[in-house]
Amino acid sequence: MELHDKIRILADAAKYDVSCSSSGSNRENKNGGIGNASFYGICHSWSDDGRCISLLKILFTNVCIYDCSYCVNRCSNDIERALFTPDELADLTINFYRRNYIEGLFLSSAVYKSPDYTMELLIRTVKKLREDYNFNGYIHLKAIPGADINLIRLAGLYADRMSVNIELPSEKSLKLLAPQKTKESIIKPMSFIHSKLLEKSESKKLMRHTDKFVPAGQTTQLIIGATPESDRTILKLSENLYKYYDLKRVYYSAYIPVFNGNNLLGVSSPPLLREHRLYQADWLLRYYNFKADELLTEEELNFDVLLDPKINWAMKNLNLFPVEVNTADYNMLLRVPGIGLRTAKRIVKARKAANLNYDSLKKLGVVLKRAKYFITCNGKYYGGCEIETNKIKNKLLPKSNVLEGQLSIFDSIYKTESNLPILV
Amino acid sequence: MVNYIFDGTFDGLMTVIYVSYYNRQIPNDILSENSYQKNFLGDDIYISTDINKSDKVQNAITTKISKEALKNIYYVYLSELESSYMLIYKYVRLGFKIGRKINYFLQNDIVNDVIKLSQRINHEAYKMIELIRFKEIKKGLFYAKIHPDYNVLPLIVPHFAERFQDQYFVIHDVKRNLSAVYDKKSWIITDIPPEITLITKEEEDFENLWKIYYKSISIEERKNLRLQRQHMPKKYWDMLTEKQ
Ligand code: SF4
Repeated sequence: MELHDKIRILADAAKYDVSCSSSGSNRENKNGGIGNASFYGICHSWSDDGRCISLLKILFTNVCIYDCSYCVNRCSNDIERALFTPDELADLTINFYRRNYIEGLFLSSAVYKSPDYTMELLIRTVKKLREDYNFNGYIHLKAIPGADINLIRLAGLYADRMSVNIELPSEKSLKLLAPQKTKESIIKPMSFIHSKLLEKSESKKLMRHTDKFVPAGQTTQLIIGATPESDRTILKLSENLYKYYDLKRVYYSAYIPVFNGNNLLGVSSPPLLREHRLYQADWLLRYYNFKADELLTEEELNFDVLLDPKINWAMKNLNLFPVEVNTADYNMLLRVPGIGLRTAKRIVKARKAANLNYDSLKKLGVVLKRAKYFITCNGKYYGGCEIETNKIKNKLLPKSNVLEGQLSIFDSIYKTESNLPILV
Repeated sequence: MVNYIFDGTFDGLMTVIYVSYYNRQIPNDILSENSYQKNFLGDDIYISTDINKSDKVQNAITTKISKEALKNIYYVYLSELESSYMLIYKYVRLGFKIGRKINYFLQNDIVNDVIKLSQRINHEAYKMIELIRFKEIKKGLFYAKIHPDYNVLPLIVPHFAERFQDQYFVIHDVKRNLSAVYDKKSWIITDIPPEITLITKEEEDFENLWKIYYKSISIEERKNLRLQRQHMPKKYWDMLTEKQ
């Protein structure tokens, strides 16, 4: 089979994996080799779906012994199959890298022959890159569920990041849709990677030399909408993953029906807006110090797709508002709709120099259209209406039909890299 | 009212600031000789660049204001906007008055303008780092063409020199006729135009493989061209192999 056919088939098969991030690693270019990793990550292109292309995201093969019903590659599906060799893939990575197409490689695979056999093939490829080509660019490797822990350990020495995809947000769904995978086979490598990382940070404290083991940590992915779990279940799961496994990211992937004809799962179009709300809520957990229980409760299991989760939360907690921008602490500023991370930081900085007046808030990046209902500036309230749920809600609801134009209102949820300065 | 004319270099601009301080003469305007036309009524003073004076000013900025301030000034200078010279002048004056804390004064228009403009330069440099595409024009020699709005070439070369230590490369700013040349040891920026040979068959093959990859990785059901353009403005598409 020609190389271009392999790329076509195996990139197409890899595209449902959301992650393409190249952040979190500081790997340096040693002894005149090729490549380095930039801590904040770098995107190199954007495909027609608006998603960033940072890594060469590709499967080693899409030949699979398993039959997970949500997946295109399941063995019972009649599709074109292809298989790389470690040499081909390493060579391709280097040549793309030299042209500045990519930041590195994100290598995943279907389960070919056995989990161990597949894992070994992936390791051979990245070993070649690191050792034969002296490649110091970014490598994200998928841990194949069910592979021997020793192989995971070995893989982790070459990779910057690893991931095990949970895919289905409950054990019940997993049993139903991916009967050959067990919860155990997913959690085991995840907790192993976590324990290795803990071990490493311990020995770092003792100043012992440590091997680089997945310096950019681990991530996972959940499929949204293929199974009946609520937003709350999903968000609580993510919260626990961050808390107990110290994951760097949980990615959410709106389920896209991949069936030729018989749509077993009864999904017609991908729930993109719901996915978007989950990403927003995920940000609130990671950067805004929110708890999942604050965002969704037993009474409210799912997000209102029309409202941003932060506004949604503020609406339910109007008793905490308005807050005075000149005195409110950083954490409270973060909770104001219309004030983001950067703006909150700027406010804290600027008010050290001088008292803030209302006109200068815009300069600092406050989105007054939203924020004005929740703040006072030097004691004055600019919201115009009383601070009361329905009145504000009416003003904050998007004017036209959001669902229709849903994609056009989206911010860049796929801009996984931040635009932080990398220049000195 | 006096206008200062300088040679357009960064050291020249720093010399202007030095001279103005020692003459206690606040300029009406600062102009680079490239764009200057001799028809003003006021006194036009030509300042010749003096590296020593420039160093002194840069040192003073670093110690009396901050390193970050000097970085901002350099970035704003790279904008090549005629108005940027006076803006830098005012920022430095203010900085000498306020000192280290200058960047807290985000409500001040001068500070705000400097920071905003410097962020725009930084942003474009970052875009170039993302979007540059090299072509192997001779065995082992890689060439990339850019035409940024601002003169960001000096900001991006260190990134590539660090990354491609084992690769000869040339980054050619076709808008300014400047080329950064890296020889596996160090790099320089020159105005000697690079020699471009024909694209080899092997190069074409890799470009095609990349185009195939680019097409295959997109999810049809999620098509969102607006978002794509937001991150990858159309004005840069002619640099991109995947968009040819
Ligand atoms: S094991 Fe992976 S590739 Fe194979 S069918 Fe299941 S999800 Fe798809």
